[in-house]
Amino acid sequence: MKELDSSTNEREFLLAALRDGARIDGRNFYDFRTLRLSFGEDYGAVEVQLGNTRVLAKVSCEVIRPYADKPTEGFLMFNTEMSPMASTVFEIGRPTDEEVLVSRLIEKAMRRSRALDTEGLCIVAGEKVWSIRVDIHFLDHDGNLIDAACIAAITALLHFRRPDVTVVGEEATIHTLEQRNPVPLSVHHIPICVSFAFFDNGERVIVDPTHLEEQIKEGDMTYTLNVHKEVCALSKAGGIAMELDQILQCSKIAVIKVAEITAQIQAALEADAKKR
Amino acid sequence: MSRLDRTRTSPHQLRPFFSSQNLLNRSDGSAQFDFGGSSVLCSVTGPAEVKLRDEKLDKATLEVVVRPLVGLPGVKDKALERNIRETLEPLVLSGLHPRTLVQIVVQTMKDDGSIASTAFNAAIMALLDAGIPLSSILGSVTCTIDSQTNDILLDPTTEELAQAKSTHVFVFDNKASIHAEDKSSMDHDQASSTQESSSAAVLFSDSTGLFTEGEYLECAHVCFKAAQAVHGFIRTAVEKKLLKEYQQTSA
Repeated sequence: MKELDSSTNEREFLLAALRDGARIDGRNFYDFRTLRLSFGEDYGAVEVQLGNTRVLAKVSCEVIRPYADKPTEGFLMFNTEMSPMASTVFEIGRPTDEEVLVSRLIEKAMRRSRALDTEGLCIVAGEKVWSIRVDIHFLDHDGNLIDAACIAAITALLHFRRPDVTVVGEEATIHTLEQRNPVPLSVHHIPICVSFAFFDNGERVIVDPTHLEEQIKEGDMTYTLNVHKEVCALSKAGGIAMELDQILQCSKIAVIKVAEITAQIQAALEADAKKR
Repeated sequence: MSRLDRTRTSPHQLRPFFSSQNLLNRSDGSAQFDFGGSSVLCSVTGPAEVKLRDEKLDKATLEVVVRPLVGLPGVKDKALERNIRETLEPLVLSGLHPRTLVQIVVQTMKDDGSIASTAFNAAIMALLDAGIPLSSILGSVTCTIDSQTNDILLDPTTEELAQAKSTHVFVFDNKASIHAEDKSSMDHDQASSTQESSSAAVLFSDSTGLFTEGEYLECAHVCFKAAQAVHGFIRTAVEKKLLKEYQQTSA
């Protein structure tokens, strides 16, 4: 189904508000919406709510044979197929541009920044490795799917526990969850995406745009950073041209946001660990 | 006798239900339905624009999309899509909205057995939330026959499904349970089990495994009784929701 454009009134109102230094949901320009993380009963299931945007991530694992040229490398796969549940613009089997962009960015942020130690997933070199699969389900689309999906994916990976394995010679025994405590994955760092939207030729910059803001924006950019202030990915796919110092300004904002979000993720994980 | 999930004492006990409606903002109606550790989220969009290819001149087109929790949709999910669509088609008064689309998306959130039944119940609650005209309400319950004890276990968990000799999914409409309720309130003795079963309107039944005719009828009877609890639950949920909406609008 095609999506209706926002009305002229909505657009004018939103832009007038931005020029007055306000956003229509009452946030400041550099504020994220309220982030809520809830965990399922089993390991690796996380539901993220970023305002009205809602994403579910589920991590699962299986043992497979590695590629012959990389005998000690495990696999990390992402599935970010969007269903019409999030928005009717998404159709089954026909990815939209937005969907492709989100899936590419998640891949870049997580896999290519080597957030997960894939060598640590090896059981028997050349024979058996773990394949970790992250299914990301978009339930409700109210803008900024990238940040929500990124938070969901990394939190799910941190929350996940894989079955313990003992290797004697070439024989590997996989213990069930009852036999032995499952082990966490080794996550090197926590990449977090922070998305910006630009209005008025880049004069106004906002963080965490809602769906309406995304419809009206003139350009966007996504920083992927970790808490050590390392840039993992920077994506600016089209939109208006930006001054270099504005981009640097954005990076400073992103650093603060990443620290806040990382702290919140860790607090949520600790609270959940205590409950178990 | 205790069940494998250790929280239930009787083989005919269902896990605790939970449901909430109107969770999503971008769809016209949505509902989550839980049977214990199984949870399904369902969204409904409609009546909306329909693709020319799917357009029906005299009624609305029903489209069901089933999304598994892990991996890409497979044969099982496609089969469930078809089952849900064909069960709901006679319930939805689609003649009222010709040349439109009613799209139902079913997303598994947690899987601990009886997913098909959970999905059916979630779908009907989402349709109610979206305000799609319906002729009646369905209620679904799954049961298995245990391979060792030959007991009928209602609302099985994944563990119990693995030990099952046969699995049966039933969907009943609520006309029969209203009927049975009236009967039992009028005269307790007359509402015998055979009459109840004969007045039960089975909308959908799916069985796998080996079982006898007697076992099947026994399962149908047990599930019918349990489905009345589901109907009652859905009814209470809708009543509560309407009351809340009424209070909000009148305040």
